[in-house]
Parts: sequence; C-alpha cells; structure tokens
Amino acid sequence: MRNTTILIVLAALVGGGVALADDGGPAPHRYGRQVRFVGIHPIPKSEGGGMCNIEGPHVHIYAANKLEYRDHEGDHYFVGDPVAYKYDGPKYAYKGPHPIHVDAVVGGEPDTEYCYIEGPHYHYFRPADDPDFKMVGDAYFYVGEPPHAFIEARPAYVGINATYRPLVYTRPVVEVDAPTGWIGARAEFVTPGVYVDAPGVVVEDHRGWGRHGHDEVIVGGGAVVGAGIGVTVVAPPPPSISIGIGVGVGVGGGAVVHEREHHDNGKHRGWR
Amino acid sequence: MRLALVIVVLAAACGGGGNASRDALIAAWKTGGLAPSAFTAVKDSPVGNDCQAGTVNNVDVMVCSYPSADAAKAAQDLGLKWVGDTTGIATPKGSLLIVAADRKKADPKGTTINQLVKLAP
Repeated sequence: MRNTTILIVLAALVGGGVALADDGGPAPHRYGRQVRFVGIHPIPKSEGGGMCNIEGPHVHIYAANKLEYRDHEGDHYFVGDPVAYKYDGPKYAYKGPHPIHVDAVVGGEPDTEYCYIEGPHYHYFRPADDPDFKMVGDAYFYVGEPPHAFIEARPAYVGINATYRPLVYTRPVVEVDAPTGWIGARAEFVTPGVYVDAPGVVVEDHRGWGRHGHDEVIVGGGAVVGAGIGVTVVAPPPPSISIGIGVGVGVGGGAVVHEREHHDNGKHRGWR
Repeated sequence: MRLALVIVVLAAACGGGGNASRDALIAAWKTGGLAPSAFTAVKDSPVGNDCQAGTVNNVDVMVCSYPSADAAKAAQDLGLKWVGDTTGIATPKGSLLIVAADRKKADPKGTTINQLVKLAP
C-alpha cells in the first residue's frame, strides 16, 4: 500500500500534478506569485513598460487585466493593440471587431477568442486562413456571421475601447469603403452615441468623456486633431464626407475612409 | 524494495545522457549572438537528474536532459517551480528542458529568454 502511495506521489510530481481546471482538464500549476502568459504582451508601467518579447509560454509576477487578455490553456494571451505599447515589430491593420484564432498564433489546442476594438487597430499577427476576413486597403475586415459567443461576450469586453481611447499612438488610418457584410455595420457591434452631421462635419461622442461630455473632434479640411485620440474627420466639399475613425468610436457601415497610411503586410515598405 | 521502485521511477523520468544535444543547444545560442557562461552539472537538481546550469546574458539558465520528449514535457512544472517568483520559462525542446529565470532583472523585455527558445535547434 505504501509502495503504491509513493508511486502515485512520484507520478504526480513528474506528470504535472492532479489539480483540475474548470473544464475538467489538468490545471496549470502556479508557483508563488507566478502568472502565466503566452505570446508577446505589454509590460505594466510599474514593471518598466514596453513589450515583453517572449513568444512562447512563460511566467511573470505581475497580473494581466481582463479586458486585454483571454485565457488560452491556462495562459494569458494578449488580444489588444501592441502598437499602443511601443511595439515596433511586424504588424497588421484591422478595422472593427473580429475573431482571433489563438492556436494559429501561439499553438496549442484550437481556441477562438474575440477582439472588440471598434476602430482601426493593429495586431502582431495576420488572421488565420479564414474566408470571413477580407483585406481591403491593406486592412483586414471581418465579414462573417458572428458566432453567438462573440456577441454574447461583447458587454464584458467592449470596455477595451474606453481603455484605448486616451492612449496616444499611431493607429492605422484606413481610408477605404468597408466591404459588404463588415461586422462594424451590424447593429450588435455599433456603439451607440456616435453620430456624424454633414456638411458641418461635427462628430460628437456622448459617452461621457472629454470636456463637457464631448470629445474634441470637430475638424475640417483633412486636418488631423488629437494625434490618434478619438475621431479624425476629413471634410471634402459636400455632399461627400469622408471619415477617418479613431479607436473606440463605432460608426456604421457606409462611411468613406480614405487611406492615409499604408502597412505592407510584413513586406517592410514602411509604416509611417 | 521501496527504494528500488523510487529509483526506477526517477530514472525513467529524469535519466539519460543528453550532453551532445545540450552542447549543440549552447553552441546554437553562441552562434545566434548570445553569451552563455560555462554550464556545470547541478547536483540534486529538483528539475531532473541530468541538469547543467549557467547564465546566458546574465539570465540564470538550466538545461536538463531526459530520456524522451514526453519526459521533458512532464518536467515543465518542476522547471517553473525552480524559476520561482520572477520572469521565466520552462520550455521543452525535444528531450531537453530549457529553464530560465531572470532573477537579476537582466532581461526586462524578455528578448534573451525568447532567443533561448528561438535559437534552439
């Protein structure tokens, strides 16, 4: 009996333990204050800031926030825009919310998570081979039918837009028509409270931030205000209106977006 | 009898040589521009019974060899336990387990640690 006990203990030590995760599978061990991550991710300012470049599974002793991370086999996987944190590696422009096939980026079991950033943004990965992504004007748009889980979890994660809005960094500026079926035009994915008046070219955001509850987004003649904050409005003569959309502002389909900055899909033609 | 069983189990989990592949790993790090110190055998390592430790660009690194890739993978958690309360990895590469712990805060962006894995043959 005691021999059996010894063997069980040894097997547990060698085999990684017997704790179970919520799904009944083995839960990854945590030692001390370790927090598990996989893939590159921002480093908290309190820990020096910038990006952690470790691509595989690793541990730190600081926490991951809920809005920017998803669970992938017990590890925290970053689904935000790395450029907001001074990432300067290969990057790919997206516009609007979209699925992320995490396993295609960092390996492991099939795992689809969702990004809820509403405007143009970057990730450090291309979409997985998925016909529901369309590239238009060097940006990826998700045009698929959003799974129920995608819609259902939106209230829990859409706050990422409020997190990113005040961050000052160079966002992609996508100036093309969104393709038919773009998720950003769907009622479930349009943030209320944003409207565009023409030809006065006034964009107001009533979500309660900025002075007097409005953002400073009244712009004309192609000027860009706020260096990546909020909304950029470019106003050619009426009746045509074109809009560059900053992160965090949901605007329905049909907005004309001119291309002001290209990305090269890793061909290094220059981003800025 | 009990002792024999323990020895058998531990040997199955942690035994084996592996010097050649470990030497190749360290050589690959050098070729890739990292600066590994001399690696020396670790007596009574909690991670395995064929481990060598040193530093790479001032990051503490231990490389353990196992009889199989499965055994190396199974020892990952022991590696993370060795890492302790700091940034680190315990990553299997074939029958080797690469364990790194940035105890001296020498690699704040994780660049060296990432290279330890990326450069592995």
